[in-house]
Amino acid sequence: MASSPSRSPLAPTEIFDRLRAQFGDDVVGTAEVHGHAVVTVRAERYPEMAAFLRDDPALDFDFFDFLTGVDYTPKGRGFEVVTHLYSTRRNHHVRLKVECDAEQPRCPSISALWDGANWFERETAELFGIEFEGHPHLVKLVLPEQFEGHPLRKDFALMTREAKPWPGGVEGADEEIAE
Amino acid sequence: MDQVEMPQPVKFILNWGRRYSLWVMNFGLACCAIELIATSTSKHDFIRLGVIPFAHGPRQADLLVVAGTLTDKMAPALKRVYDQIPDPKYVISFGSCSNCGGPYWDSYSVTKGVDQIVPVGVYVPGCPPRPEALLHGIIKLQEKIGQEDIREKWSGKLTQPQPSGAY
Repeated sequence: MASSPSRSPLAPTEIFDRLRAQFGDDVVGTAEVHGHAVVTVRAERYPEMAAFLRDDPALDFDFFDFLTGVDYTPKGRGFEVVTHLYSTRRNHHVRLKVECDAEQPRCPSISALWDGANWFERETAELFGIEFEGHPHLVKLVLPEQFEGHPLRKDFALMTREAKPWPGGVEGADEEIAE
Repeated sequence: MDQVEMPQPVKFILNWGRRYSLWVMNFGLACCAIELIATSTSKHDFIRLGVIPFAHGPRQADLLVVAGTLTDKMAPALKRVYDQIPDPKYVISFGSCSNCGGPYWDSYSVTKGVDQIVPVGVYVPGCPPRPEALLHGIIKLQEKIGQEDIREKWSGKLTQPQPSGAY
């Protein structure tokens, strides 16, 4: 069955062009990874861009896939919030990245746009300590209530690792030496 | 009964009755639960050892099989289920996770061994152990029950959970 032209996926470069036309310099960076478009956006316009990606008929990102955080503090940067969107009608992907401060990471919430983002943001908030501004109910989701700290942060001390270092090789350690 | 020394034949009959009518409480937490359930079904069939699957609740159970990864958040629930089981009660720790944390030995959320929460009779190693390993564990437990001294058992020394820092 031949797919109709209006339903075919947009190439990452086409997605970048549309976002640049709409948001200009607020698109901080673009990259193509595994055939997916990756867009770094300024935090102030991140919910606006997510809404644009969802509502624009050509982009049509109707499915919120996941949201998580990345801790880049050992590399001298802050945190990053990564949001993966997918279009079920056009079969194309985009990842939005928002860079956050290392000391007090904050990011606007998109739980008003997709209800599914609500729990992802709660989980990211408790595991990375990133505050999602505008989230309706930002309390712990999976960790016990009395848990202290943010366990997916790189500086979170694991008691057992303090007593006994990781016995195997560390993934990516060789690459860092090569750099 | 816990005041007097029982005659050997009475002790033998009580232990014999206890070891071959173990109603098992399923505390399946992860992939090990699949092996536990497989052990209960017709191919491996632990009913032939007198282990009856599965008690409808902890109040009907004699044996608690903790099969899978116990997290710190789940630990109070395990403690509660254990406390609801009437004495005499036995615990089998099934799989590396419940023995010691297993592959999650350095995790922030996994309890490093259910013996921090409840007293364990038999540890079955493996990740996950095969059903045959559980059958072997059950036989080992039955040997222990056969040697049991009911006065010592009901003195509370054996059933008191070890004090734990977390819960």
